[in-house]
Amino acid sequence: MKRRDFIRDLAVGGAALRWGPSMLAAQASPGAEAPVLAAVEGESPALITKEAVSALGGMTRFVSRGDRVVIKPNIGWDRTPEMAACTNPEVVRTLVELVREAGAKSVTVIDNTTNQAKRCYVRSGIMDAAREAGASVPYVDEARVKRMALKGEWLTEWGIVQDVVEADKIINVPIAKHHSLCRLTMGMKNWLGATGGARNQLHQKLDQAMVDLAAFFKPSLTVLDAYRILVRNGPQGGRVSDTKLVKTVVAATDPVAADAMGASFFDIEPRELLYLRLAQERGLGTFELEKLRIEKRKI
Amino acid sequence: MKREKSRKYRILRVLRIASQVAFFGLFLYLFVGAHYTGRDYIGATVQRFFHFDPLLALVTSISARLVFAAFAFALVTTVLTLVLGRVFCGWVCPLGGLHQLASFAFKRAKFLKPPREEKSSLAWKYYILILVLAGAVFGLDLAGYLDPFSFLTRSFAVSVFPGLAYALTGLKNLMYGIGLTSAGRSMSQLLENWTLNETFLQGFAVGLLFLGAVALNVRKERFWCRYLCPTGALLGLLSRWNILKLRIDEEKCIKCGLCTQQCETQASPYPNADWKSGECVYCQTCAAICPTAAIGFPLRWSAEKATNVSNVALSRRRILTTALLGVAAVPLFRLTPVRKRASLKLIRPPGSLPEEKFLAKCVKCGQCMRACPTNGLQPALTEAGPEGLWTPTLVPKIGYCEYYCSLCTQVCPTGAIRKLTIEAKNQVKIGSAWINKNRCIPYTLGKPCIVCEEHCPVSPKAIKFLEVETRLPDGRVVVQKAPVIDLDQCTGCGICENKCPVMDEPAIFVTSVGETRSEKNRLLLPLAEDAAPDPYK
Repeated sequence: MKRRDFIRDLAVGGAALRWGPSMLAAQASPGAEAPVLAAVEGESPALITKEAVSALGGMTRFVSRGDRVVIKPNIGWDRTPEMAACTNPEVVRTLVELVREAGAKSVTVIDNTTNQAKRCYVRSGIMDAAREAGASVPYVDEARVKRMALKGEWLTEWGIVQDVVEADKIINVPIAKHHSLCRLTMGMKNWLGATGGARNQLHQKLDQAMVDLAAFFKPSLTVLDAYRILVRNGPQGGRVSDTKLVKTVVAATDPVAADAMGASFFDIEPRELLYLRLAQERGLGTFELEKLRIEKRKI
Repeated sequence: MKREKSRKYRILRVLRIASQVAFFGLFLYLFVGAHYTGRDYIGATVQRFFHFDPLLALVTSISARLVFAAFAFALVTTVLTLVLGRVFCGWVCPLGGLHQLASFAFKRAKFLKPPREEKSSLAWKYYILILVLAGAVFGLDLAGYLDPFSFLTRSFAVSVFPGLAYALTGLKNLMYGIGLTSAGRSMSQLLENWTLNETFLQGFAVGLLFLGAVALNVRKERFWCRYLCPTGALLGLLSRWNILKLRIDEEKCIKCGLCTQQCETQASPYPNADWKSGECVYCQTCAAICPTAAIGFPLRWSAEKATNVSNVALSRRRILTTALLGVAAVPLFRLTPVRKRASLKLIRPPGSLPEEKFLAKCVKCGQCMRACPTNGLQPALTEAGPEGLWTPTLVPKIGYCEYYCSLCTQVCPTGAIRKLTIEAKNQVKIGSAWINKNRCIPYTLGKPCIVCEEHCPVSPKAIKFLEVETRLPDGRVVVQKAPVIDLDQCTGCGICENKCPVMDEPAIFVTSVGETRSEKNRLLLPLAEDAAPDPYK
């Protein structure tokens, strides 16, 4: 073991003991006691991410030794982190670290971007952060987009990025943002970045497309970055004044609940979002947070 | 008599080849380096080669009546040529190196058999030079079409590298096909990292011309350098007073004529008195192959005889005729309506000078098209009139102007596109977006879309939306969010047109009107501050 690795492990381990006693508890009896959703507020994006995951029972609940894991953040735009157009790089870095500590064989961070891929990967800070943490961060190759049967209600088949579906486990890491058409883009909308082809045509029935895609991908874990959210001029913003600091990370096993929780940061009733209603009807989860076991923390 | 080749000149020949390979490699490195590297400002790339080119320095300074400071480097070449002759052509020029390599290959393959005696006139390139210079006096910049750096960069940017990228993509897909996934993946990452653009409107024509120029070497060695290159001609004129003069040792010479037959540029080493200092590129071939080592290049300080300007018979009458031709060409180039009224689809890169100055400075090298990350910059065909052939124009259907990118402004060798920071670039309008409501999905089909609004990169957005009622064929009325344009905010980047799902003829499109650089092609006058204040600023 290298000295650097040792020090890092020590720091991480220390942090886990300091902030995550529930992680150890949950590991003892995973599932039964663990909440469906944890929302953690705090100053450090890395620490609240760690805490949110540990509140659900820790990464080992979702990732097994030897798994090939894909982490799917939103790297859609050529924007810096303070524009809140892409997932916070520290959140992604922390997840890569957690997944590696859980014994994953490989971690891939990938997104099909809207602007030039390299620009988005670099300016978002995600490429550097994820690489430093030990993930491979490839660009999407159009030749690796294959038409797949989605068995959706509207999308019966569509081009899917193979790197995402070939993984053993998928972790969805969206950011919470304003969007003019579906009002908010969070976890379910994030799946458009795992598709290829003429994605712009999906807008004609966007809510249904989002639900069909969410039903297809089935993430093991959804981690919604709401450290800094985009409240207007979505989904790419462009000015810091378009954003708002919420300093919260939401981790959930229920993807519908994660988006419903996200809606509360914008003071929007989850019921108002068509795709959440469709998703609940489809049985993908529930947006009625009051019915779920939820844990909120502040650190 | 003892027959032995000169060891010294054979070594010099090897050095010359090494120098050509090195400069060609440097050229390629700088050429490929002109892309988004992960940094917003990429420093000097292949434009440095252009700055050492006295022809481009001279012509663009005359035609634009502006001296671009970077062209100071051309003085180095000028002095070098004055002192040592056309070593630049023989040892540095990457296009010259390429032609020499092609000639060598054609000779080896026996496609090319040099005749014992070569009588063809070498005057063409001088007439081309005179034509270009005469045009420049009237602001007509024709240098770029045949200048070696412009020619090579344009051919590589618009045709050779796109072809290569196409081939690599095919190879990569083959790798995936046969199960070599990781090899395929590495190749795909490389293609994305280097931003090798694949699509060019004039790619076929420019590529054919390039292949043609290379194929000409089948006729004569370094055909381009002998007969066509105006830069070579200019350097030839400068080399009259140089101190490196070919000298044949009459005692050793066996008059075999091998030197004259194998001369790359028809400089005619034998007999010594016929040697043309303005044609010799100091490739060292004659000295290296001379069976008795009779040829050398000692330093001599005497100038050529005045009547013997590079020993090429340039008749005074022809010089005058060509100059007049160059002058006469000027109005011919200007008959186009482009000068009277801005062209609808001529969207110049951000930072471009006003059209007249732009045309006087642009050398059509295509380096901006190489650097463009979205492949949007394309060589114009007729959009800018005959003067503007192969000048850059943004074609949003192919690619848009990236918001945080100013690479085209950084790589322009002549300042036809002014260097801009990204902040400054985003203050520049290159055109204006318009909506064709007859094709727009919400307006016509009554379905949701507003993809354009989502992609608009400025904040606040230049595309807003209104609730619009649409009557469907069955008589029902539906209400949808439909885009409207706030021209005050629009920069004309064209991402809306590029991403519009109406593929064939996008329902939102950009035209040149409103471009910042033009006094005439304006739309919104900046006379009064009547725009509503931005509540979030």
